[in-house]
Amino acid sequence: MPKCEECRKFFSLEEDPKKGDCVQRVVDPRQAYYKAKPVTAEKDAAKCESFEKK
Amino acid sequence: MAEPAQVSLKELEKKQEWWWIAERKRSKRLDYLRKAVWKKGALGGNYAPGIKVDLELPTLFTQAWDFWRFDPIMLRRAKTNSNVLDNITIFITDHAQIMGYMGSAPHTITWRLDGASMVNEELYNEPGIMPEPQEESLKKIAEFNAYWGGQTAIDKLARVLDPEDAVKFLSGAIGWGAPTSAYGYSGKNYEYFMTGKRGFEDIIAEIDASIEKAEDRTIGLPGPDILPLYDRIQNWIAMKTALQASIRWAKRFARLARIIAENFETDPKRKKELLRIAETCERVPAKPPRNLQESLQYDHFIQILARFEAHEGAWPSRPDYYHGPYYDKDVNVEKSITKEEALDLVGEFMIRAYEVGGFAPRWAREGLQGITGTWVWTLGGVKQDGSDACNDLTIAFLQAARLVRVANPTFAFRWHPKVKDEVMREIFECIRHGLGYPSMRNDPILINNAMHWHGHPLEEARTWVHQACMSPNPTTKHGFQPMRMASATANCAKIVEYALHNGYDYVVNMQMGPKTGDARKFTDFEQLFRAWVRQMEWIFSLLVRTVNLGRYKDPEFFGRPFLSGISERAVESGLDAVSYVGERGNCWITAFTYVENADALAAVKKLVFDDKKYTMDQLITALEANWDGYEEMRLDFVRNAPKWGNDDDYVDNIMIRCLEECARFSKEIKCPCGNNWPILPENVSGNIHYANIVGALPNGRRLGDALYDGGVSPGPGLDKNGPTAVLKSCGKIDHIGHGRAFLLNQRLSPSQLAGEKGYQLWRAYMKTWADLGNDHVQFNMVSDATLRAAQKDPEKFSEVIVRVAGYSAHFVDISRKTQDNIIQRTVQGI
Ligand code: SF4
Repeated sequence: MPKCEECRKFFSLEEDPKKGDCVQRVVDPRQAYYKAKPVTAEKDAAKCESFEKK
Repeated sequence: MAEPAQVSLKELEKKQEWWWIAERKRSKRLDYLRKAVWKKGALGGNYAPGIKVDLELPTLFTQAWDFWRFDPIMLRRAKTNSNVLDNITIFITDHAQIMGYMGSAPHTITWRLDGASMVNEELYNEPGIMPEPQEESLKKIAEFNAYWGGQTAIDKLARVLDPEDAVKFLSGAIGWGAPTSAYGYSGKNYEYFMTGKRGFEDIIAEIDASIEKAEDRTIGLPGPDILPLYDRIQNWIAMKTALQASIRWAKRFARLARIIAENFETDPKRKKELLRIAETCERVPAKPPRNLQESLQYDHFIQILARFEAHEGAWPSRPDYYHGPYYDKDVNVEKSITKEEALDLVGEFMIRAYEVGGFAPRWAREGLQGITGTWVWTLGGVKQDGSDACNDLTIAFLQAARLVRVANPTFAFRWHPKVKDEVMREIFECIRHGLGYPSMRNDPILINNAMHWHGHPLEEARTWVHQACMSPNPTTKHGFQPMRMASATANCAKIVEYALHNGYDYVVNMQMGPKTGDARKFTDFEQLFRAWVRQMEWIFSLLVRTVNLGRYKDPEFFGRPFLSGISERAVESGLDAVSYVGERGNCWITAFTYVENADALAAVKKLVFDDKKYTMDQLITALEANWDGYEEMRLDFVRNAPKWGNDDDYVDNIMIRCLEECARFSKEIKCPCGNNWPILPENVSGNIHYANIVGALPNGRRLGDALYDGGVSPGPGLDKNGPTAVLKSCGKIDHIGHGRAFLLNQRLSPSQLAGEKGYQLWRAYMKTWADLGNDHVQFNMVSDATLRAAQKDPEKFSEVIVRVAGYSAHFVDISRKTQDNIIQRTVQGI
């Protein structure tokens, strides 16, 4: 079962590698941006459509 | 719609197509950011395609709110908001340099689900804004609504309101709004947190010292004096929690900026910018700003953080005054950034405010067509020592406004005799470019007004900013007002309507006001006027009672830990900033649809009692029939009764008499601080909202007709004697003693005011305006031809901006009725 920590979009926190951010690029009809959402390294990535193996 | 590239700037200027000129003149960055905005203002009442309600925030909020249910309310809210700030998706838009938005994506509007169950139910039924998959979103919203039903701030307040007051208020006939911080707008204590003396870490240190002192006492000698400290310690902890979460949230942007710079960005220039963003967000709000970017970022973070806590329907601020010293340091002294780079920051600062939007119920969307709140930023004015406060940043804001051309925020300029010509020219350019702003405010008059009505000391009064569209509010410890609700907004045309119908409302079919007598039997004008006074007192009393109670109970029903954490008196006392303790008081009644009273009363006096052309019985019969079958008579009342705004003492004296009665009563009704409730006639776009709620009136108006647009503006097309006559009528009002402020809309001719000659004409007009002691005026300077063309081809003219009332909007975003109402306003040749 893949986990977030195996994903290219996961960026761990220096002070606590078990936690981190999922950082993704989004291009909507008006603008392009990067977004970040806190996730844990252990989070199940099996159902994540954006998962990209590191 | 593409820009007509082959057309020269000169040609565009001649055609007054300023929006194309702006596109050519602004930087690539500003152009990208301006076009990147998802417009959140409702288009004539409906949200634009693509706008979705954010469900991430309510999910995080509700989970934590439930989890912390055993905490006192302020602490509960602080911990709940911390959960949101720590976990909500954040984003950084390409080219952006200023960070912070309340939703999890740029196209989302936030939902304040702890405000009112009624609003929550409305959201459930709002078409088009549900995120996909819709069914899942609706299910989620239904669950939230079930959870929050009965425990929103308004649900709690409704349980303690007098039932009769509640029914009459909720009828929607006499006022609007919701008396809770959830939907209010807070003045800010800028003199505490925005002067460069402290950042959040410094405030936390002050709070820690207070907690320590209080804890020493709570383990000391028992007595009644230590009992309030237990609650206050909890409040201080709440404030500290809110400030700490804010610092963490800002640092999340710093981290994201670094991740982008180090892992994704290939352009070295953007990389450098991202690292500067990171440095900025690590610095503020934790520590005081050191440069313009940090200062603007600090301010923007605070505005957004306040909106994470409450809806905040307005944006009281004074950006040139508080950020001016940093502009001067960076651009003039250290030359660390160029003027152009500063302009980019200033323009983006405006765009960041423009993109803000939360879900609003339909009545609010109709009342504020095209925008999401009245973001009226204050420029100019005087410093606390009375000297001119304008600076280079004042000019930069006026220039940036013409480049980004946003409809929100707008500016209101505190004019005084020492304002330099170069600033006045920049103001005129904004007006000439059809922005409809800045509105002009008479600073000496309004400072005196603040001292007269609320007893603000001179130096405090001089710090004033617009709390919403119009009302001055100081930014000091005791002067700032932390909660103001639009619910002290009176639909004043009802005063004369009720006076004519014995207090009965034929539109909502209810006995609303007191029974002041059958007007058919009135034998002289004084009887009618006495009835008018009693109805006015009744409407104002009901609204003020409701709002006072809302304010009094707000710390118990809502709680504002973040706002308290940036308010000196709350940090010092440990009380919620919304508590009235320690505040001087700065309330006002917004008087919508006011001028109809003067015109209606004058018409009755003239045609019934003086000329005896009609009897009261005939008039009431015609009004009850909504003038149906009485067209000739109606036209007589329109054409042959004197109308306000023509320097005609007959009707002007009635206007003044009405205002004198309001001013007298304003001193009898008191706010929770014990201070007065002066009136402030203006309309936002309530003149359209109330069109179907106000019945037929003796000025010839029928149910459904748009009401007059201003606070003291003459009825559209009814000012026949030119602009000076309008100013003279308005100048008969005592702009200090009769009320808090008086909104005047004027339309000027763009072709007449072209070039240097046009500027000089406008200056002469402004001199007359000031000499007559008026406190406000704002201008539309877009030709009928352009407005009509925009009605025909909205896409081509999508960037045309007009002044609606106390705010501006893109012309194509307002309803046809409001558009027509603006076109009908007399274009004054000056
Ligand atoms: S894209 Fe999916 S798997 Fe990858 S970090 Fe984000 S949530 Fe985890």
